[in-house]
Amino acid sequence: MPFEALDFYDVDSLLTDEERMVRDMVRDFVDEEVIPKIEHACRDGVFPDEWRVALGEMGVLGAPLKGYDCPGLSYTAYGVICRELERGDSGLRSFASVQGSLAMYPIWDFGSEEQKQHYLPKMASGEWIGCFGLTEPDYGSNPGDMITKAEDMGDHYLLNGAKMWITNGTIAQLAVVWAKLDGVIRGFIVEKGDPGFSAPEMKGKHSLKASVTSELVFQDCKIPKDRILPGVKGLRGPFSCLNNARYGISWGAVGAAQACFDSAREYSLSRIQFTHPIASYQLVQNKLAWMLREITKAQLLAYHLGQKKDAGTWIPEHISLAKMNNVDIALEIAREARDIHGANGILDEYCIMRHMANLESVKTYEGTHDIHNLILGRHITGIQAFTREL
Amino acid sequence: MECTVIAETSGNSIHPITAQLVGAASSLGATPTVVIPGGAGAEEAASIEGVSKVISVVGDYFSTFDSGAWASAIAPQCSGVVIAGATPIGREVASRVAAKRGIPIIQDATGLKSGITITRPIYSGKVVETSTVSGDCVITLRANAFDAAGSGGSASVNVVDQSADISIAVKEAISKASERLDVSEANIIISGGRGIGEKENFSNLEDVADIIGAAVGASRAVVDEWGMPHSMQVGQTGKTVTPSLYIAVGISGAIQHLAGMRSSKYIVAINKDPDAPIFGVADYGIVATWEEAVPALKSALAAL
Amino acid sequence: MTIAVLLKQVPDTTAKISVNGGRVDENAVSKWSFSPYDEYALEAALQLKESVGGEIVAITAGPARCEKLLRDAAAVGADTLVHVSADNINHLDSTQVQKLLAAAVQKSGASVIFCGKQAADTNAGSTGPGVAELIGASCVTLVSEVSSDGGGYVVTRPSSAGYEKVVASAPCVFAFDKGVSEMRRPNVRGIMMAKKKPIETWSLGDLGVDIQANGVNIDSHSPPAEKPPGQKFEGAESVSTVVSKLRDEANVI
Ligand SMILES: Cc1cc2nc3c(=O)[nH]c(=O)nc-3n(C[C@H](O)[C@H](O)[C@H](O)COP(=O)(O)OP(=O)(O)OC[C@H]3O[C@@H](n4cnc5c(N)ncnc54)[C@H](O)[C@@H]3O)c2cc1C
Ligand SMILES: Cc1cc2nc3c(=O)[nH]c(=O)nc-3n(C[C@H](O)[C@H](O)[C@H](O)COP(=O)(O)OP(=O)(O)OC[C@H]3O[C@@H](n4cnc5c(N)ncnc54)[C@H](O)[C@@H]3O)c2cc1C
Repeated sequence: MPFEALDFYDVDSLLTDEERMVRDMVRDFVDEEVIPKIEHACRDGVFPDEWRVALGEMGVLGAPLKGYDCPGLSYTAYGVICRELERGDSGLRSFASVQGSLAMYPIWDFGSEEQKQHYLPKMASGEWIGCFGLTEPDYGSNPGDMITKAEDMGDHYLLNGAKMWITNGTIAQLAVVWAKLDGVIRGFIVEKGDPGFSAPEMKGKHSLKASVTSELVFQDCKIPKDRILPGVKGLRGPFSCLNNARYGISWGAVGAAQACFDSAREYSLSRIQFTHPIASYQLVQNKLAWMLREITKAQLLAYHLGQKKDAGTWIPEHISLAKMNNVDIALEIAREARDIHGANGILDEYCIMRHMANLESVKTYEGTHDIHNLILGRHITGIQAFTREL
Repeated sequence: MECTVIAETSGNSIHPITAQLVGAASSLGATPTVVIPGGAGAEEAASIEGVSKVISVVGDYFSTFDSGAWASAIAPQCSGVVIAGATPIGREVASRVAAKRGIPIIQDATGLKSGITITRPIYSGKVVETSTVSGDCVITLRANAFDAAGSGGSASVNVVDQSADISIAVKEAISKASERLDVSEANIIISGGRGIGEKENFSNLEDVADIIGAAVGASRAVVDEWGMPHSMQVGQTGKTVTPSLYIAVGISGAIQHLAGMRSSKYIVAINKDPDAPIFGVADYGIVATWEEAVPALKSALAAL
Repeated sequence: MTIAVLLKQVPDTTAKISVNGGRVDENAVSKWSFSPYDEYALEAALQLKESVGGEIVAITAGPARCEKLLRDAAAVGADTLVHVSADNINHLDSTQVQKLLAAAVQKSGASVIFCGKQAADTNAGSTGPGVAELIGASCVTLVSEVSSDGGGYVVTRPSSAGYEKVVASAPCVFAFDKGVSEMRRPNVRGIMMAKKKPIETWSLGDLGVDIQANGVNIDSHSPPAEKPPGQKFEGAESVSTVVSKLRDEANVI
């Protein structure tokens, strides 16, 4: 049965024809090729390579970027793609977010002409996978204090340090790595095989099991001079990437929530206890009504933010609000859905527990829930509360 | 009312649906002419009650199915209201006869009343359409939806040797390796559950399936425990199927199994426990062991 | 070579169909799709084009909503899009529908026509052979595969023994059953191109067809009769009773 997404306010009717066609394309892909394989991928802890190929063939990687064989879609279309992918699995959406917003975007915005021509077409087609190295073992929410550093050796740069929690790291052909050059954060393109670079996979995740997470290790890693991103200095570089990825997550979370809602509604109608379907009990209906309410609000937030992204009238705080809210409600919906499924809810026969565990990561990465609260707090009061030095 | 029945043939005789077509024509008050493409079974057709005459149209092009040639050969004999079987050949030839004569065609009728008022299922049976035709038309009838006319008639048989241009040639015939249908594609499914006892006993279900062109399905209990292929599993975590007939043998009817098959058009359950939940969704429930019921099923179906 | 593919937009086979005022309520249809057999026809046509070249004209007859179908066809590779504008397509009788499509095929210049064996709404299956008759073409139905063979086409269809490959040459109509490949998924590039592709809208006047009074009048649509409540029988002796009920009451064997 093709998936019929909950869309109570018919928000998708506001999409353009083209955006709807893209939605249907990705939705079919998820129905036909992701849902049947996802539990297997999670058990094996792998990201199936055929998904990379399919994403490349569909042409959705780097969705809103223009030129260099990139799709050139609207930001709204990019959001829709994230939503449909994350309805399948957050790991799949993470792959696309990292590739498009965190690896292709900085090259597209801050790279040299040669870099763009060299990397972007291969990345848009999915032939090359990229990853994004910002977080370090000791610096997560506070990346500005990172210790990975680059030295100018005249005819090359030398990188030293380590990045942690890097999505796609082990399977990537290239990493966009943020490191300090003379104390200033700069972006560097490191390729697989560069001397002194390794990317061991991190194992044992209970979340995003179908996504590869890695460490990036630089030990006197030598890279050519033309691998520095010339166009940006300071935290603005990584943060502009994060803005786009967080925006995509605000849509993606809606997809995960829709999947959980769908399963909970179905299950509650077919599960008979005390001689009636549990859906006929007010306490269960209350949960379903609450899910409907939160999903509908989240859809409106995501759509409106998409329009602002396309119109260029957004500020980063708009994105913080949507990322924080939508992930928060998706996680809560997954938990309520788990409850409605009773014991069945803990099985991997149902998507619930997988989405729930995934969303725990989504809540943390791309700015934790509370970091977004702090961003909004600063916006409201004008006082930053990240550190004690006021 | 002038009426022509296009007979359906099968090998050297007429197919039983032909008597049903005549029966339907008679119910409209017609005494039809029966036209036989290729002429097989003419005497048999002549003996169907209510037939006014039989026209055997012959020509060597009838050895290959080419609807263009067939229709051009028989159309001159098809006057008035034309009735054919809603079989693959019947539908195609009838369509061309209708187009040739410039009259409408209604396919797959399940009810006829004089007038002529026609009912037929549309949207895969989710809706019934009732329509009325004013002039001549072509109607194809669903097999077994109409009572067959009896025998005892003695119509005359005319043979018409008709030439026609054939435009399709058979290049290669490939006999089908008897591959088993997939449950998600089959129109009839017979599924077995733990009540079947052991994996080897599934061959009994396969025998039945071969007779009626069905696919063989399974409950999850047997897929998991006896290592049957997962592609056979019907249910929430297997395939969701909507065949026109689903026969559940030795399946209790757990909610997860029902989730995959309860939208089947007709459900038959064979189970030795009269309280098995599967009977709650069955249109026809048979309380019996499969050891007794399945052989009986096999012979009843083979006798059809 | 120009291949015309006849496509019909129908309610998705999983969509709920409701009847309102004696007619199927089209406004209540949640999702419209290609008729599934048409998808096989389109895919086979695309593959034929890829192997021997040519151009694909996608033709649909129906109301304005059908333009979406043409865009979807363009997104997977149809070259030319033709909308035969007919608001009441499901209320025209077969003669009229076939006349429209035959005229459109002729106007398109195609001599090879691909279509589905039947549309998933009416399930009739009259269109392919009917159009073939009107344009004087040969016709093969229940096709699963078509390949080019010099001047003609080799076509696979079922036979009483299994399958047979038959040869046919243009003009010809191939009406598809389930084909060997599912319709390909579009991609973003195809979707962007589809957006820009013009849709030619042909009216009855453009086609020189005048619609006559219908020979068939639809009196009503109604939901199917309720199934009788389940019947339960004791013992294996009842099997033959059940089998005859399956044949005569349920009509499923
Ligand atoms: C599966 C996965 C994939 C990832 N992929 C990538 C990737 O591809 N690239 C990359 O660079 N990073 C990636 N990350 C890292 C991610 O961005 C970080 O985990 C995130 O920024 C949080 O950092 P942390 O884990 O060090 O948590 P911490 O920063 O240590 O935070 C721990 C807790 O402290 C709270 N906290 C921190 N500071 C404050 C404060 N000032 N006031 C109040 N509360 C505070 C946080 O809200 C949180 O609750 C990934 C993480 C995961 C789990
Ligand atoms: C999350 C989840 C998903 C599931 N998904 C599916 C699914 O997709 N498909 C599925 O089928 N199940 C599924 N199940 C399993 C389901 O709950 C049942 O356990 C299963 O369907 C039982 O299979 P059964 O009917 O073959 O076996 P049983 O329940 O053991 O029933 C055997 C039946 O055979 C009858 N019987 C015994 N001997 C004879 C005889 N000689 N002649 C005739 N009848 C006899 C008995 O009376 C009994 O009714 C799922 C379960 C869970 C928890």
